[in-house]
Amino acid sequence: MNCAECRENLVASVEGLLDREESLQCQAHLETCAACRAEHVAITRLQLQLVSRGPATAKVRIVEAVMRRVRQEQFKPERETIMSTILKHRWGFGLGTAAGAAAIILIALLTLPKTQATAAEAIATMTRGAQAVAKLTSIHLRGQLRTAPQDNFSYINADCPFYTIELWKQFEPELKWRIEKPKRIVVMDGQSTVMLIKTDDTAVKFPQRTVSAFDTEWLHRIANLSNTISNELDNARAKGWKLNLTEKTGADGRLKSVVTVLAKSGVPDNDYCKNTFMENADTRRVYRFDAQSKLLESVQIYLTRPSGEVQIFDLSRIDYNQSIDTGMWKLDLPADVSWAQLEPPKLSENEKYASLTAEQAVRAFFEACGRNDWNEAGKFMSPINDRLKEYLGGVKIVSLGEPFTSKDYPGRFVPYEIKLQAQEFNVRVTNTNSAKRCVIAGMYDSKLRLQQDFKWSTEPEILTNNDAYVRLSPKEAVQAYFDAQSKLNWVEMRKFTSESDVEETKAQIAMAEKQGMDVHKQMPVFEVGEATWSPEQSAWFVKCYAVQVKKWNIAIRQDNPAGRWQVDGGL
Amino acid sequence: MDLTDKEYVERCRDGHQEDFRVLVDRYQKPLFAYLAVRLRDGRQVEEAAQESFVRAFLSLKKLRKPESFYSWLLGIAGRVAKEELRSLKHRQQDCEVTESIMANVADSREDYPLEEAIAALPESYRQVILLRYYEGNSCQEIATRLDLPLGTVTKTLSRAYALLRQELAARESAETTVNQTQLP
Repeated sequence: MNCAECRENLVASVEGLLDREESLQCQAHLETCAACRAEHVAITRLQLQLVSRGPATAKVRIVEAVMRRVRQEQFKPERETIMSTILKHRWGFGLGTAAGAAAIILIALLTLPKTQATAAEAIATMTRGAQAVAKLTSIHLRGQLRTAPQDNFSYINADCPFYTIELWKQFEPELKWRIEKPKRIVVMDGQSTVMLIKTDDTAVKFPQRTVSAFDTEWLHRIANLSNTISNELDNARAKGWKLNLTEKTGADGRLKSVVTVLAKSGVPDNDYCKNTFMENADTRRVYRFDAQSKLLESVQIYLTRPSGEVQIFDLSRIDYNQSIDTGMWKLDLPADVSWAQLEPPKLSENEKYASLTAEQAVRAFFEACGRNDWNEAGKFMSPINDRLKEYLGGVKIVSLGEPFTSKDYPGRFVPYEIKLQAQEFNVRVTNTNSAKRCVIAGMYDSKLRLQQDFKWSTEPEILTNNDAYVRLSPKEAVQAYFDAQSKLNWVEMRKFTSESDVEETKAQIAMAEKQGMDVHKQMPVFEVGEATWSPEQSAWFVKCYAVQVKKWNIAIRQDNPAGRWQVDGGL
Repeated sequence: MDLTDKEYVERCRDGHQEDFRVLVDRYQKPLFAYLAVRLRDGRQVEEAAQESFVRAFLSLKKLRKPESFYSWLLGIAGRVAKEELRSLKHRQQDCEVTESIMANVADSREDYPLEEAIAALPESYRQVILLRYYEGNSCQEIATRLDLPLGTVTKTLSRAYALLRQELAARESAETTVNQTQLP
């Protein structure tokens, strides 16, 4: 080994990383070379100095204490008073953080107007809540959110039913977390972050660990109260949010401190996305702390609209420091999962696509789908899976409208009207009931796989003109069922289908109307074909085709390195 | 993986105050070591470390070179430590132990330059030194954490040692010159 090789290996040698032979060669050289030996001694001496730092600082943990003080400092009154000047130096050797918290309340109470003083008390309550969980090793939240099961984690809709949303988060020894809605899951296993959308078996992966990803930050904030305090404080200052504190006796007979935050998103009322995501909604947030333990016990969030308040989130279960099953950090993916690209790659003809307008890009995308040219369609959306191919294959554009924007969305919304290719499906019809009429028992796809089983809680009733219905063939009964549905004639529809089907259809129609869709125009047109008797199931299968016109707004954005428009939602 | 100091400073300035915790986490240990040789008493050191970070946070807008956050933080910590020593001396004028404490502090002065020299390193070298000696990671663990080959980590350490020695030698030489000129 010569001098250059020896010096290149010196650090590895000091660190004990050389294999036996290399180590011996290095030692042999050191014994014969004074210059390299001096270098070795110098490195070892420096290393000894550095090594002494480790044990001395091993237990240093001041992040939370500093962040608490940073937040307290932010809430200090702008103008100086005698009291605030005296208390400014409270850090000075002797007053701990608890005393610091007390001091800030005192400052705020002495110097702020009445309304802000209440805010200071509210912040102090939240700060104590954060301190109570400062040594948190894990947390589990289970709440109910008015949302669509497969939609974004922060998507809210006052007209949707409540669905369960849960967060499991481990802070020690290594940060890991999982958030789950009925049809959407994201897991950060300490190495990477993967989200699965169950409705179309699509997954997205960030190859790194994250503290929050996709649009889950609002839930993480609740799990990490110090973040919540910081956020509410920033907004109280920047956007004039109002905070107050009241005390109430809870159902358990214990005193509760209730912090209420009136949050204004700043998004104009006429904005397309207003009140559709947590971040752009005007809300009233109610945090309830146990006055004795100081722990956060529940959170309720209400959407505040001119028409009145609607509760959209209810969190009543919070488990602190309970062990979380390691299986929670594993996300079972379907074998045929489709992976979405995080960022579209640059194409050889990238400029051609990057220079399109939003409307041109939407047109090109739908036209490619219409031709079943999935390679071309893939330049505008990822992933293109079988479900999308089945849905948009053969589509025809009826019209495209003027693109528009939303305050918090970096892309464009393009209104569209499309005619989807006829979808083949089958309806199962039986007349083995006391009324002897043909009624609908289930829906099946083109390959006779069950899609929806119609549950009849009671037998079909015997109608006053029952005989007229008994004479209808299976095909005629199905035609009459679809006619009644398209006319929104619920009484007539009930003669052919279960009560639950009628109620579900009504709810879907109401939802579509509330979202601004013209349901009369967009109701699928059904063509009814031939009926086939199935001896095994003692039922007829009636072949049907649905032709649907869809009118909606597609979300498309080009804020990616390739600068190409990518479909983001609204299909 | 993580952002650079400059990027975190800029995010804090842009209103993401919660990101300041990353900078605190990154430098709490070396800052503690820096203050420990000046203040000795563990509680004083912790209070001074907290105060240094809080002052740094409140003055972030004044930081001209965000990439030099750590050396700027050490400057603030140095002033905080001086204030405390002055205050301590003042408070303990009637107390006989003052002299012995001050003597201890004086004894430790030869350790002063190490953290300052680390602060003067380019960020990539400083990061490896902090991970190795203040966070207690092995070279293999650093390689995994930074997603680098093991050989790159040992080479970076080697270069960091060379730069540290240069820096310490320069400081020693400057100090010697100052001391000599002060001689009568």
